[in-house]
Amino acid sequence: MHDNWLIRCNSKGFYIFLVQFSQLQNDPMNRRGFVRKISLTLAAVAGALFGISFLKQFTARTGSTGKRRKVGYTADFPVDNYTYIDDLKIFVYRDHEAVRAVSAVCTHLGCTVQHTIDGFECPCHGSCYSPEGKVLSGPAPTALSWYKMEKAPDGALLVNLGETVAPGERYLIV
Amino acid sequence: MERQSARHTATSDSDQYRRERIRRMNRNFFLHIHATKVHPHSLKPETTFGLGMILGFLFVVMLLTGVLLMLNYTPSVGQAYSSVKNIVHAVPGGRIIRNVHRLASHGMVIVVFLHLLRVFYTGSYLGGRTLNWIIGVCMFVVVLLMSFSGYLLPWDQLSYWAVTIGSNIAASARELTDLLGITKFLDVGGFFQRLLIGGETVGQPALTRFFMLHVIFLPVTLLVLTAVHFWRIRKDGGLSRPASVEKQEKLFSWPVVMWAELAIFIGVVAVVLLLAFFMDAPLLEKANPAHPDNPAKSPWYFLGIQELVSYSAFAGGLLIPVLFLWFMFSIPYRDREEEHVGIWFSGVRGRKVARNAAMISLGVVIVQVFVMVQFGWLRDWLPGISQWFVMLINPATITVGVFVLLSLQVRKRTGSSRMAAIALFTAAMVALVIFTVIGIWFRGANWEFVL
Repeated sequence: MHDNWLIRCNSKGFYIFLVQFSQLQNDPMNRRGFVRKISLTLAAVAGALFGISFLKQFTARTGSTGKRRKVGYTADFPVDNYTYIDDLKIFVYRDHEAVRAVSAVCTHLGCTVQHTIDGFECPCHGSCYSPEGKVLSGPAPTALSWYKMEKAPDGALLVNLGETVAPGERYLIV
Repeated sequence: MERQSARHTATSDSDQYRRERIRRMNRNFFLHIHATKVHPHSLKPETTFGLGMILGFLFVVMLLTGVLLMLNYTPSVGQAYSSVKNIVHAVPGGRIIRNVHRLASHGMVIVVFLHLLRVFYTGSYLGGRTLNWIIGVCMFVVVLLMSFSGYLLPWDQLSYWAVTIGSNIAASARELTDLLGITKFLDVGGFFQRLLIGGETVGQPALTRFFMLHVIFLPVTLLVLTAVHFWRIRKDGGLSRPASVEKQEKLFSWPVVMWAELAIFIGVVAVVLLLAFFMDAPLLEKANPAHPDNPAKSPWYFLGIQELVSYSAFAGGLLIPVLFLWFMFSIPYRDREEEHVGIWFSGVRGRKVARNAAMISLGVVIVQVFVMVQFGWLRDWLPGISQWFVMLINPATITVGVFVLLSLQVRKRTGSSRMAAIALFTAAMVALVIFTVIGIWFRGANWEFVL
């Protein structure tokens, strides 16, 4: 191995490490083997990087801004009622003093939950949620999200789908 | 002129006769995937039941009907549903063409499963056939993906919600990353979901992507894999056969193989056409993104997975299928006992092992589902239990654990890797069938158990 370029580079420690490494693999490494291994590793890394960035081209870009959505005016929502908003997949609940918004998308596999007397129930795999959105039974991994509600200058109710709040939090009607 | 010479020489047992028969196979691009000579064992119906050829012909039927359907289909959210309605009600013969396409795809799913069983139980992944087994498992996956991607195209309720569920299964790695608290930095699930459907919910990008996958990417992939799969059979010395028949003299492929294949082709086309006349492909209401049907079920062959998913999205939808595929790919490396190649179940002992594994699998699955239906599961006993337990301890994961122990025990008792493989494979396949049966017939509204 006297003609090993590593010796000529005088990086003896690294060479010893390599020798030990190759002995670990029970496969004495010569220059050809070393170059081949390095090339293969580099090729694999390059391939992986290329593959990931290639696939990334196909993922949609979803912006984090503009998550506020108008849902109507307070008067549109009957008191003590869960109103389902089709396009946002949320329930808006209004009682005597407040309105709040809860996601209607099951955290399990994305079906739309139904509102029942006991809370919420998913028709796809039977996950049950309490009125606060906590998981009672079934495969759902997390609770339903409650979204922050705001009021637009013209008095319309806005749901901020980008910001979740604690289940009890309510948007007070003034 | 050539015909004459063929007829003339067909009667004589001369060199010219042999050359003629070899020439018939060799000079034709499409026929030369066959060897010029075939072993008589390969022609016996019980060697393969013709399953591979049936698959090949069903694929041809799929391609032809698929092109016809594509001529009248519009891949846009607004028009997809009405264009499929148009195919059924207005296009001449459209109803039959769509029925044939659907039945042939169901046929492919069933036959690819049976073909997998046949290849495994005859030990045909050994004897230099490792690569072809791996290609075959890939084809199994591609066939399932093709039928799944085809489901979105009509844009009816089934399409929409089946793909919503499917894409959320792709995102179910989130269940794990959420538990580890790293979703913000490393959202693997979200990446796969956006890759698959081009967004967070199923919409036009999803339809565009699935259309592309269904009509270009997956068929071309399957075509290439099919070509390699067929070519490998030749390179591997024909179909697997027991050593005991090795000495039998081979026959010329022309014309016996042609007759056998023609018979299979005619049979496949006849059966599909006959069924297509009576069994109409369903078309539900137009997709309503606001409300799923109740119950919202996937296509029947995914209901086994859906049953698993109803225990835990990550365990049932991702972990176990990945483990299953890993097991399938690794079979030829774990079992290297070449002496039983070509013998069903490797003989009497294998038959026994398979039967026992099937019974154990039946028992394990049914007992657990019974417990779950009668007494509930962890969350009903200990409300507020950590999601870790829900994810890792459920009928799906326990079943897998029992099967692994079973195969280790068989390995120890018999000292044979082939027997261990038979036990694990049989148990897994039987469980898959039972879960599918439960999903099809015993799950009603809200996924509740019904008899």
